[in-house]
Amino acid sequence: MPLTDSDLQAIWLTVRLAGIVTLILLLVGTPIAWSLARSKAWWKGPLSAVVAMPLVLPPSVLGFYLLLTMGPNGPVGQLTTALGIGLLPFTFWGVVIGSVFYSLPFMVQPLQTAFESIGERPLEVAATLRASPLDAFFSVAVPLALPGFLTASILTFAHTVGEFGVVLMIGGNIPGVTRVASVQIYDHVEALEYLQAHRLSAVMLVFSFVVLLALYAWRPKPEKGT
Amino acid sequence: MKTHRFCSLLLFVCTALLALSAHAERITIAAAADLKFAMDEIVVTFKKANPSDEIHVIYGSSGKFHTQIRQGAPYDLFFSADIGFPRELAQAGFAASEVKRYAFGRIVLWSASLDASKLSLGSLTDLRITRIAIANPKHAPYGKRAEEALRAAGVWDKLEPRLVYGENIAHAAQFVQTGNAQVGIIALALAMNPELAAKGGYWLVPDKLHEPLEQGFIITQRAAGSALARRFADYMGDKAARAVMSKYGFVLPDEALSR
Amino acid sequence: MPGDPSLKRELEVSGIQARFRMDWPGFALDVDLDLPARGVTALFGRSGSGKTTLLRCFAGLERAPQGRLTVNGAVWQDDEKNRNHWLPTHQRPLGYVFQEASLFPHLTVLGNLQYGLKRASGAQPTDLDAAIDLLGIRPLLERKPDRLSGGERQRVSMARALALRPRLLLMDEPLAALDHQRKQEILPYLERLHRALDIPVLYVSHAPDEVARLADHIVVLEAGRAVATGALTETLARLDLPIQLGEDVGVVLDAVVAERDTAWHLARVEFPGGSLWVRDSGHAIGDPVRVRILARDVSIALQPPAGTSIQNCLPATVDQMVGDHHPALTLLRLRLGPSPLLARLTQRSAVGLGLEQGMAVWVQIKAVALIG
Repeated sequence: MPLTDSDLQAIWLTVRLAGIVTLILLLVGTPIAWSLARSKAWWKGPLSAVVAMPLVLPPSVLGFYLLLTMGPNGPVGQLTTALGIGLLPFTFWGVVIGSVFYSLPFMVQPLQTAFESIGERPLEVAATLRASPLDAFFSVAVPLALPGFLTASILTFAHTVGEFGVVLMIGGNIPGVTRVASVQIYDHVEALEYLQAHRLSAVMLVFSFVVLLALYAWRPKPEKGT
Repeated sequence: MKTHRFCSLLLFVCTALLALSAHAERITIAAAADLKFAMDEIVVTFKKANPSDEIHVIYGSSGKFHTQIRQGAPYDLFFSADIGFPRELAQAGFAASEVKRYAFGRIVLWSASLDASKLSLGSLTDLRITRIAIANPKHAPYGKRAEEALRAAGVWDKLEPRLVYGENIAHAAQFVQTGNAQVGIIALALAMNPELAAKGGYWLVPDKLHEPLEQGFIITQRAAGSALARRFADYMGDKAARAVMSKYGFVLPDEALSR
Repeated sequence: MPGDPSLKRELEVSGIQARFRMDWPGFALDVDLDLPARGVTALFGRSGSGKTTLLRCFAGLERAPQGRLTVNGAVWQDDEKNRNHWLPTHQRPLGYVFQEASLFPHLTVLGNLQYGLKRASGAQPTDLDAAIDLLGIRPLLERKPDRLSGGERQRVSMARALALRPRLLLMDEPLAALDHQRKQEILPYLERLHRALDIPVLYVSHAPDEVARLADHIVVLEAGRAVATGALTETLARLDLPIQLGEDVGVVLDAVVAERDTAWHLARVEFPGGSLWVRDSGHAIGDPVRVRILARDVSIALQPPAGTSIQNCLPATVDQMVGDHHPALTLLRLRLGPSPLLARLTQRSAVGLGLEQGMAVWVQIKAVALIG
């Protein structure tokens, strides 16, 4: 095995992080995308802007403010301490939360687009066939939006795998806990260990390519509306 | 006729600008993060005496600058927290001058919540100190020295699980400043900065616990013909510059030798 | 007796009482309707008259801020008297057929049909079978919607709505998206539906042919207001509000095929008050049909006409007369027994013949259209 144990540890950590973040965002992002897609209320614009903010915020800025708010003097930090959880920075779950914020638009925007393209009609039809709004969501909206779900999951997973700035800021680079592959590669480069950097980068590249290729190949074709 | 006049005017302006800039020189300095406050002040005093010269300073990690200079980065002077980097560049032919030592770095314990001046390396094992921030020993010179000191004091095994790593000492200081780490091992130069000093005192780590942090600089090959680069390099040996360095906690090379 | 409170209550318990008021930019609606508990009520009007909006209010897909809707005794909406009662669409026992079939693309035809079954309490698989047979879609069950023709899709969507045994069927221009041939294919199914169903049907359309063929009751909408409502035949015969169902005003009468003259390829249809000879179109004796007679095809004689090519000459009574859209013309309503008939004459003829209310005359009907 050309990779060291710490490299493998970093890869496994990265995969776990990306997987968990994607799952959390599926749960959190779907209702947000759904309400953005269906709403005509005044808050649609501001909410869309807030959701899109991580796209324009430099990751180090986001990371810095997460560090402040999750720290002992920040509101989140005080909450977590009061709840007995301790502080979130330098923990795996702290990095998960930071990544959830950072990858939010990658889940919400494709989902919102998929939901919008369904339109009102299928849901009205479902209502006339005795389906409650929740029922209609699961039995009609979700199957019709399935390609959107897959795109959103792929983008979120890939984006989290590549994440660097936020993890660096609030992770503390702790091996096995917050030292993800991107940080590991960076450390190799900084320490002039170019060969290891090349090896680890190559592995990440191949892994990402294979995952993305497989997911795109299995992506169901969008159903034609009639 | 109008075009002809316009072209001549443009030509005149360009020549004038070129002529003017020929007199004003410009250099970019890459300096290690711990030099931030010291170097800023030195540059200010230098410019008082040389008002038409432009000096641009970038602060960052010595390792990164080293890599970038090897790849042709446009820096004219390189001040490194670890003399090893400029020595390597000189060997590889990227230096236009000899490697000159400019200071010895010292590390300290610093805290924003506790009175660090009452701490010692051994007292770090106190269980109330849940997180200790240091720079990444893998590639940050101050981080390497911090690890050496902790090992020499015999507390490395106990403390390692509580360590968090910043990319450089500024990053490590940030962890401490935001309260996420109770204590950090950072550069003396950083701890002496008024903003950090106001938050808390520091404890000087005995320099026998670690390899000396020799800090050196070079003029890069790219600036071989720059008169300004040479003038600035010489200025570092000036009394004024040395006073600033001392003020910020850098041990000057000849002082260290006499110790 | 009008004013008998118990009778009034009984009338209210059956049928549909609907009051909707909404005033939004783009559409306004202000109707107060009393519709029968059975048969097809056509919501007729030009595009933009508010008929689809009205239908959606019945379904609960639009919520008129002020409305009251009772269907056979069940209150589906009540905003009056500060009550704020609102039954959401999915809790209303209705069926809705949209203009474009709108089948679920991710389900097969059978999946679409069964979608409501799984959710509607009281729906029986036998109802689904009956609907499938009524609309003739059994061979299509395993196909996906994108493999069906427009007519087939529309039939599936009708079966889908029927399979749930709705208490009210709403149809929004179900034939509008189809070409002529497909329309002619489906109309017989709609007629079958009409005869087989025991529930009220609200049928939105701007097509006179469909209304003439299918409606028992008509509501005429203009700019969100109901300008006329009533039984089809009587409403079309109104003189105060001539309703043009097509090229001209005219009546639609229900009739039955009484006789067939195969030698001359003619058929005689009987309606209350008389009978008419029409072209034989293959209907059997006893088949119910409808005939339409336009006002411009009716002329009047004081004596039974002799030596005329017009086959249909009948005795009638003059009921009422009004001026028509041109000062030279006048519009008459006559009665053949209980059935009304409209005729258009010049003022000069009407005065010249000395036509008066109650007068007995003879009508000559030049053209009779047999519809359905």
